[in-house]
Amino acid sequence: MSLHRLARAEEIPPGAMRLFPLGRRGIGVFNVGGALHALNNLCPHAGGPLCLGEVTGTTLAGAAPYALQWIRPGEILRCPWHAWEVDITTGRTVTDPARSVATYPVRVEDGWIVVEVED
Amino acid sequence: MAIIEPEMRGRNPRILDCAVHPAPKAGDDLRAYMPEPWRSRPFPGLQRYFYPAPNGEADPQGATDPEQTAQDVLGSASAAILLPLTRGLLPDADLAAAICRATNDWLAAEWLTRPGFYGSIRISPADPAQAVAEIERWAGDPRMVQVAVTMQSHQPYGQRAFAPIWEAAARSSLPVAVQIDGGSGVEYQSTPVGEGHHYFEWSALYPLNFGVHLASLIAEGVFARLPDLQFVFADGGLDMLPPLQWRMDKNWRPTRHEIPWVDRTPSAYLREHVRFLTRRREGPADAATRGRWLQLADAGNLLLYGSGYPGWDQCDPAAATLGADAEMSAQILGASARAWYRRLAV
Repeated sequence: MSLHRLARAEEIPPGAMRLFPLGRRGIGVFNVGGALHALNNLCPHAGGPLCLGEVTGTTLAGAAPYALQWIRPGEILRCPWHAWEVDITTGRTVTDPARSVATYPVRVEDGWIVVEVED
Repeated sequence: MAIIEPEMRGRNPRILDCAVHPAPKAGDDLRAYMPEPWRSRPFPGLQRYFYPAPNGEADPQGATDPEQTAQDVLGSASAAILLPLTRGLLPDADLAAAICRATNDWLAAEWLTRPGFYGSIRISPADPAQAVAEIERWAGDPRMVQVAVTMQSHQPYGQRAFAPIWEAAARSSLPVAVQIDGGSGVEYQSTPVGEGHHYFEWSALYPLNFGVHLASLIAEGVFARLPDLQFVFADGGLDMLPPLQWRMDKNWRPTRHEIPWVDRTPSAYLREHVRFLTRRREGPADAATRGRWLQLADAGNLLLYGSGYPGWDQCDPAAATLGADAEMSAQILGASARAWYRRLAV
């Protein structure tokens, strides 16, 4: 296990993502409404560069037939390769929660973003 | 005329024939069941297909003698579900609805008086209000065990205009059979790139339109909203279901956000909501390969025997179950249909 001091906290404001050269594919650190999440840049579906995907929301069925409800804006990552949706806050894919992207503990220490990666 | 081997004579209580096609002796016979102004209104005959079958269709299209049909069909099956044609899509939605009403009254009066025969409530989805009224008119009659609609349609069946019809069917525990019934000239062309020249092309391709309605019913959330709704594809197609279901399941993952009411893989709706009838002997011709394909297609759960009597391409129990093991054969020939048709007590 190793700790990596990656950036000053203010460099990744809410809504932003920054990709760091850690591991084989890189690790993306996302700020979702003030909470940080670190995800492997490797989609669990087909190995796409997941963290480069669009940060978006998703939908649920609304109360009326055919109505759409927009939920969780800013918490869903859509892979740029095949558009699988991934929940940034858990790493789980939306359609198959058994499949998830690797996530890493991330915190702010003395104003620095620190990620913990297994060696 | 069905060919029933002598050893198949005598009712087989295990067999339930889900597709027998009766027809009036002459097209105009239906007029006796139509009030004016419809009775004197011209409308197309049953013999209207642009793609005649290789040996020509029986004229009129279907079995016309209840007594003979009972002997032929109930010789091998304990009960039969009757599925008459209408006139398909017509420019005049009111006339189409009137023909459906007359067909139902004719069926009830001339065929359903006989034990062992069960009926289909023909409706014309072009006018949902009249279709719902017709379902409700028959919902209390235990001889009617399903609703039937044309495969031909101007919109896929999941789209919202049809929702009240499916609600009415589900409310009365009536599965909805989808049957090719066209040729009147106002339906869309039989392929998206125009008409093939031959019956060969039409008969190979047209039944695959089940996929359009099935994908629509799933994608529009009709099954998700109506847990009791059941659809039966009466022209077969189970042989083509596995590849279609692989495609739908794969495409659903990146597009789920468009259709969030689909909260499971599309194929997960099939067992609860969809059945296919046997049409000819679909699938590979050799028994071993067909047996594997039937397993792949979940035929034990999804396939129901329908002879298609008296059509030229009718399917007997042996052909319908080619390659199936004993357990699956019993399911196909009757056990699955008994569980599926909730109003049928045989």
